[in-house]
Amino acid sequence: MKSPMRMVVAGIAVTALAGSLGACSGDSGEADGTTTVSFLSWTGQEQMEPMIEAFEAENPDVTIEASYSPPVAEYIQTLQTRVLSGTAPDVFVVAAENKTNLIEAGAVVDLSGEPFMEGIQQFNLDTYGRDGAEYGLSLSSWAAGYAYNKEMLADVGYDGIPETWDEFLVMLQDLQDAGYTPFLESVDQMPTTVSAMLGAKTSQSDPSVDDQIFDGSSTFAEQWTPILEEYNRLYTEGLVSADVVALDGDQVRDEFANERVAVINAGPWIINAVQEANPELDWEFGQVPGLPDGMPFQAGAAAPGYAISASSDEETQEAAKTFLTWLASEQGVEMFHEATNDVTVTENFTPEVDPVFEPMVEPIRDGDLYLPMIAWQRDEDVLNVEAVAQVQRMIQGQIGPEDVAAALDAKLSS
Amino acid sequence: MTTLTTPTSSGASAPTARKRRRRSVEGGWKQITINRAFLIPAIVVFVFLFVVPLLQGLYWSFTDFTGYSPEANFIGWDNYVQILNDPSMLSGLTFTLLFAVGTTLLVTCLAIPLAVQLNKAFVGRNVVRSLWFFPAVPSMAILGLVWSYILSPLPSGVLNTLLSNWFGIEAVSWLSDNTLARFSVIMVGVWAQTGWHAVLYLAYLQSIPQEYYEVAKIDGASPRQQFFAITLPLLMPAMVVSSFLLLTNGLKVFDLPYTLTNGGPGFATYTITQSLVVTGVGQGEYGLSSALAVMFTVAVGVIGFTQLRITSRIGRRFA
Amino acid sequence: MTTALWRRTLLSIGMIALALIIGVPLYYIVINTFKTQADMVSSPLGLPETWSFANWSSALGDMSIYQAFGNTLYVTVLAVLAQLLVGAMAAYAMIIARNRTTRILGSLLLVGFIIPPQSTMIPLYRTLVGFELVDSLNGLVIMYMGGAIFCFFLIQGYMRTLPYEVIEAARIDGAGTNQIFWRIVLPLIKPILVTVGVFQTMWVWNDFLLPTVFLSSPQKETIVLQVYSAVSEFTTDWPAFMTITVIALIPMVIFFVFTQRHIVSGLLAGSVKG
Repeated sequence: MKSPMRMVVAGIAVTALAGSLGACSGDSGEADGTTTVSFLSWTGQEQMEPMIEAFEAENPDVTIEASYSPPVAEYIQTLQTRVLSGTAPDVFVVAAENKTNLIEAGAVVDLSGEPFMEGIQQFNLDTYGRDGAEYGLSLSSWAAGYAYNKEMLADVGYDGIPETWDEFLVMLQDLQDAGYTPFLESVDQMPTTVSAMLGAKTSQSDPSVDDQIFDGSSTFAEQWTPILEEYNRLYTEGLVSADVVALDGDQVRDEFANERVAVINAGPWIINAVQEANPELDWEFGQVPGLPDGMPFQAGAAAPGYAISASSDEETQEAAKTFLTWLASEQGVEMFHEATNDVTVTENFTPEVDPVFEPMVEPIRDGDLYLPMIAWQRDEDVLNVEAVAQVQRMIQGQIGPEDVAAALDAKLSS
Repeated sequence: MTTLTTPTSSGASAPTARKRRRRSVEGGWKQITINRAFLIPAIVVFVFLFVVPLLQGLYWSFTDFTGYSPEANFIGWDNYVQILNDPSMLSGLTFTLLFAVGTTLLVTCLAIPLAVQLNKAFVGRNVVRSLWFFPAVPSMAILGLVWSYILSPLPSGVLNTLLSNWFGIEAVSWLSDNTLARFSVIMVGVWAQTGWHAVLYLAYLQSIPQEYYEVAKIDGASPRQQFFAITLPLLMPAMVVSSFLLLTNGLKVFDLPYTLTNGGPGFATYTITQSLVVTGVGQGEYGLSSALAVMFTVAVGVIGFTQLRITSRIGRRFA
Repeated sequence: MTTALWRRTLLSIGMIALALIIGVPLYYIVINTFKTQADMVSSPLGLPETWSFANWSSALGDMSIYQAFGNTLYVTVLAVLAQLLVGAMAAYAMIIARNRTTRILGSLLLVGFIIPPQSTMIPLYRTLVGFELVDSLNGLVIMYMGGAIFCFFLIQGYMRTLPYEVIEAARIDGAGTNQIFWRIVLPLIKPILVTVGVFQTMWVWNDFLLPTVFLSSPQKETIVLQVYSAVSEFTTDWPAFMTITVIALIPMVIFFVFTQRHIVSGLLAGSVKG
């Protein structure tokens, strides 16, 4: 009774072993003069694989050995573990979450002056650079603002998102009076509204808001409190339910696609899902309205940039540069845009975007984007977790806007 | 035939058997050596997979190691001081304890009666057992997502839709009210673990000789009396194991609050492991997160062993 | 007789109803594999408007899933058998030679599962790099050996409930430690071996944390890594995610249905005969 069972199990194990051994014996291609470049991709396999195939077809002397890890937390952890153990991939991405650590540890190669870095927008180069050095080849950016249901807005006499915050709040009130749920914003991350308002502020101040906070000449309390006070009016004036603290982006998107809300915070990643779910929906993106001393703006950032590991040998680094050159070429950028739908920011290719997203394209290509987490100069993750949690508490009415800012100051000084 | 001999013989010879066991079961020195050899694989596993990394972590906890550069400078107790001065740590601690104790008590109270019922014969027993066990199977990430749809505080949330259709109740803020969010996370935790712990109890139920119940029945004991006089005391070893598992796993919980509420609203469902991940992985402050891990391991150890001691003592009293 | 029948019917109805409520999320996962993303957005819990098999054909049409399946099977079978063996051996030694040293050793071993896995990850990875066991399925199996401590704890708890007379009798008959372990103890503890084995199988089969960090070549991926290929930075293709989840679950469900009757095997009948 028992021994046949054991045999079967052992048999399966042996078969599987044979299979896996067969699989791993085929991967070293050094013998025939090609260079193997290991690559940890941020972009999913389905999108990345065709690009790698196209590259390898053109460059038969370089083989890309790609592996995939889903962003963000898992990717950061996998990369961190491998960098630390001396088995870093030759090409990987620097993201907002790990750029400070990677740069300070000297784990990435300075790419400034490389031909493929020309024609990339300065905003993207600056995001992943420091002190004149450039560490990441960031090909695209994303922007998030508001998505609105045109019919619902027309119903109360508006043809778009108003330019000022006060007008916007009046519009939300009108929508509410007309029986619509006026606005939902997912607060599982830093609210898009807050990021955009901060962005408008920092674009008008010199030195930037974050330079002032981080060099000690200003505080979160001074810079953030007025903005948080305005943002909090959504909740204190009863326009938006405090339930948003438990919503994620996908849930808010679904409410919008099902025409249960007039305005939501949104980025380009909702376009396909909304259009598939509700092809009839007449909708568009708009910028976040400006405060009296500000202007309409948007949240957003440069996409993570491709970087080359400093621990790879010279020959491999050269091959990695060939790969990056191809990625930044017109063909590479075009394929990247088609696979990911990202708005690319290179000079050699003009991306085509869905008409609903048109209002956001210019700000992206101009680099008018802001995300606190990327602009912060240290403790990004810890501050972000703190900020999101404290904003949630503010929305619930447990603390005031000034307490949120004070908590961030306390966190920064600890 | 065996029904009569087994209980009487084991009952009568128990004290003598206990005295004799040490000598006769251990055997001569050669047998003792073989006995000890049986422990070697476990010790090797333990040393390589737990002791060595833990010591390494202990060392890092006294350094400013970042997790990226191999450099690490000795900085004494700084990391520990920083953790003890951090107010958000306290909120993580509160919910972690609440979750661990809450799930341990609730799952234990539910799993034992469930196991007793699952042990009886009824139609569709195999399917029912599988359904109960199923929540232990898929990753918590996907279950967290499913539950966030079910418990969505919007009127369109699944549970809220049902409540309003059937009972006319207005939308409940399942995940956006602090108390309800904590309650919801604990309930999903109970949902996910009850079935598997019932299966664990089920295995132990099998080792209770049927004869005990037959004798009790002859003596006129009601099912209720049988449960409290036979089943429960004999399940004590299982309870020791199960509650220890529940408590230590509860203290280590990460995936469920992370995917269901992401620690929110505010810090209502924030856990210690989440701050461990944020500081260690997100922030790359590996020294700091190692210090946190060391303190946490010690705390879990103290709580776990205290609980083990107490339950074993209770167990021994019954046995 | 009729009251007994009534009671049984009531029990059946009650238990089935309760189990169905418990199983609602399962229904949710399975039903959404037959929907397009659009359909899932508009009615997450309803039946699909039109039954779509696109998720299934695209998941099953991708050859890498079979490779991943084989890899997962290899790792799971080896890891679980090894865990059970190491755990059972230690539990047996501990029970048979109960003295102060083994008791202390036993509690020491328990430290093994109060350590949060996040805190030993980086040190372990560095060690495995030294042994060239990173990005290797066998390295992964070794990592999973940590689960042996868990097995040890559960098996030891169960062994305490065993009738000692059986082991003693065998000893008097002249059986050695080895023989007693294989011939008598292992069959006696079958219910707990199955229970723990099922549980560890679920863990290893579904684990995401270790493979994502320790494996890097696509051809060594386990099936759970395939599940996560549907996740991207801002949004997730949930229908695809759930389809591969279900594909990964099916073997586990079959496995559980087949093994669970062994949890409920006639233990005492077996031991008395032996």
